[in-house]
Amino acid sequence: MLTVDKVAFHYTAATPVLREVSFAAEGGEILALVGRNGAGKSTLLRLLNGLRKPTQGSVVIAGKNTQDTPPHIISHSIGTVFQTPEQQIFNATVRGEVAFGPNNLPLTPQQREERVVRALARTRLTDFAGKHPLDLDQAQRRFVALASVLASQPPALLLDEPQRGLDQRGKKLLEEIIREEQAAGRCIIIVCHDMEFVARLASRIIALSDGRLSADMAPVDFFSDAPAMAAASVEPPDTLRLSAALGLPASLTPSSFADHWLARHN
Amino acid sequence: MITQGSSQTGTALLYVPGNSFIHRMNPLTKLVGLLWLAATTFMLPPGGMAVIFAATFLFGVLAGAGKAFIKRLILTLGPFAIFLFVIHGVLIERHDTIQHEWISFSPEGAQYMLKILVRVAALLAASMLFVTTTHPANLLKALDSHGVPPGIAYLIASPLLLLEPFSARARAIRDAQQARGLDLTGSWKARVKAFPALLIPLVTLALSDLDHRATVLDGRAFRARPFRVVLDAPVDRPYECWLRRALLIALPLQIGVLLWL
Amino acid sequence: MALIDIDNLVFGYGKATPVLDGVNLSIAHGERIAILGGNGSGKTTLAQWIAGSLPRPGMTARSGTLHAEGKPWSDWDALKRAETIQFVGQIPSQQISGFAFTVYDEIVFGPGNLGLEEAEIRKRANWALDTCNLRHLVERDPFTLSGGEQQRLSIAAALVMQPKALVLDEPTGNFDPESRDKLLNQINQLPEDLTVILCDMALKPALAIARRFVLLDEGRIVADSDAQAILAHPRTLEIFGAPAVTEAALAIRAAGRWPESKPLPFTYGQAETLFKEVSHAHG
Repeated sequence: MLTVDKVAFHYTAATPVLREVSFAAEGGEILALVGRNGAGKSTLLRLLNGLRKPTQGSVVIAGKNTQDTPPHIISHSIGTVFQTPEQQIFNATVRGEVAFGPNNLPLTPQQREERVVRALARTRLTDFAGKHPLDLDQAQRRFVALASVLASQPPALLLDEPQRGLDQRGKKLLEEIIREEQAAGRCIIIVCHDMEFVARLASRIIALSDGRLSADMAPVDFFSDAPAMAAASVEPPDTLRLSAALGLPASLTPSSFADHWLARHN
Repeated sequence: MITQGSSQTGTALLYVPGNSFIHRMNPLTKLVGLLWLAATTFMLPPGGMAVIFAATFLFGVLAGAGKAFIKRLILTLGPFAIFLFVIHGVLIERHDTIQHEWISFSPEGAQYMLKILVRVAALLAASMLFVTTTHPANLLKALDSHGVPPGIAYLIASPLLLLEPFSARARAIRDAQQARGLDLTGSWKARVKAFPALLIPLVTLALSDLDHRATVLDGRAFRARPFRVVLDAPVDRPYECWLRRALLIALPLQIGVLLWL
Repeated sequence: MALIDIDNLVFGYGKATPVLDGVNLSIAHGERIAILGGNGSGKTTLAQWIAGSLPRPGMTARSGTLHAEGKPWSDWDALKRAETIQFVGQIPSQQISGFAFTVYDEIVFGPGNLGLEEAEIRKRANWALDTCNLRHLVERDPFTLSGGEQQRLSIAAALVMQPKALVLDEPTGNFDPESRDKLLNQINQLPEDLTVILCDMALKPALAIARRFVLLDEGRIVADSDAQAILAHPRTLEIFGAPAVTEAALAIRAAGRWPESKPLPFTYGQAETLFKEVSHAHG
């Protein structure tokens, strides 16, 4: 689905941003991309969606090499939800904004309409379809950006800090949508600082440190590896620490912790 | 926290750091001097203009901005000279036009062209001398500390300051729209169609910025008092003050002479 | 006299449903208070009222009043307002004056407007630079700083005015955990008598800074209490989600294995002790 092969990137040779980054991902996987501010996450994100071309190595998405495919074509294979919806909103209605993606695809009007309606429903925006996107609150604007990518139905999704600025209700909805996308066989990459969120969702963790890939592990292993976490400035989820302190099997989420605890004390 | 690949002050500025005599002059003196030179070039014969050009160029080199001067002069004057030559030397028919094979040439036209070129060169060199030796921050402080209304000083400073964030944002918007399928590689028709998707977010965000910035200025008591205290204002020597007065008196007189004589 | 006294404030934009729907809140000098709320709860609007940037000209409250040290903001002049309260908004790049080419000039911009003596301005600027850890950036162009640096700069530019109160709207939203903790530490080291009003939708920063917690829900204050009571409030869990350890304890309580008499843990430290006790009781 997606292959990053020995990728290096720099703006000027003296200051490399990324070095020797390699990993691959398949449909149905949820990769969390973690690391401290400035570790190269945003650059890697722009390499994955073809906005930047690797200085060395290659990025191949659904058979397309980003080196010789323009970003708008890559966008049919990987949809990006950026952190600042205000930087892309230009339609006068939420519906128009969500229809932007499908309008660029070879679909019949009816197919387009179906996709827009469904994306609006999934993001709970149906009642706001006729409103101006900038009249919505911050969280709803983020869902407008998400809906506009969902409506294009790309095989891979790239989400930049999607949970940021969302309250619990918003996070729950986001989580539900991400799981549905996973179940539909899409490959999902999430750039994220919120480790509780990562622990609940990710099937794999890719950590960047100083422009290098410092870890590519299953969440349970990553969150038990103190040096790996330190390199990426990451705190383990509390339930994982708690399960270790109580001698229970490693528990990434509250529900798995409760299961382990109840099994022990029954 | 690690600073993300950001540039130091001045990528968008022509300022060349230095400590020359010209650098140390008060920005207001330089500004008045520039205005005076500009007015003067219109009074002088081409020879005089060439002297001004040579002098300002020499000062520029002495101030350590020779490279910047040459680069800017070539970039601007080169195409301009060719353009002028074609128009006045070749295209416009004059009584002295010489027809040689397929090419026509007028010595009078060429002379006229040279006059314009020298004037533009002098104006350009004088402006270059000003911008390469004056950091806008110092100009702002000089205006501010001389009681120029803060609003006017703000109008001068903010476009220079906001150029960088504005272009960074334009890039971010282009990125965001391309990543959702906007085609910026296609025919000019496709690009025209793509224009609103790039322009509307830029305008919306600029308006939102203005709104926030007004609140910020309000919160920091901007204009709450009739005066502001300016720290590190550029030094102003008495002779500079006199020089400025003299130039400011000479300026309208020169323009008067030019218009009525 | 209270710093801020809000009496039954109802406010909305245009004819839309009110954003603030009967808010009553009194904030004393020197308090460390968190105003917590989810998306669309009205906390940013409330913060703007407190800081005096709302109502704008032409806007009014539908009913109720807000008094700052005894008078509505509109009865005070801009100077008094700037010296009483400073507001730092959510988007760092929008908190910069656009009047300064360096970090240092950005910081001395406000005090210059106050018309202070040069020595006093420099003294304050030095203090603000150190407090916000900006010393190494004094020569930089404010617009080329990273988001986190800009955030610290806007806090420094607010502090240098030496206000009685500082209003922070989601100050750590942009930060990784390490930078977040650093900033929270710096906020905690601010002078005791400075009132800090923090608006947030994350519990962690609020728990680190505040001693009083106000829960805003659909424009109304539904709780106003200390940390334990706010964490135990049913809406808190719905809006912010319980801390993971609390959620784990709740799941065990739902299975009937967590005694009703046992308090719920909210922090990791509490959780370790409480879980050990409960595990021990079950053998």
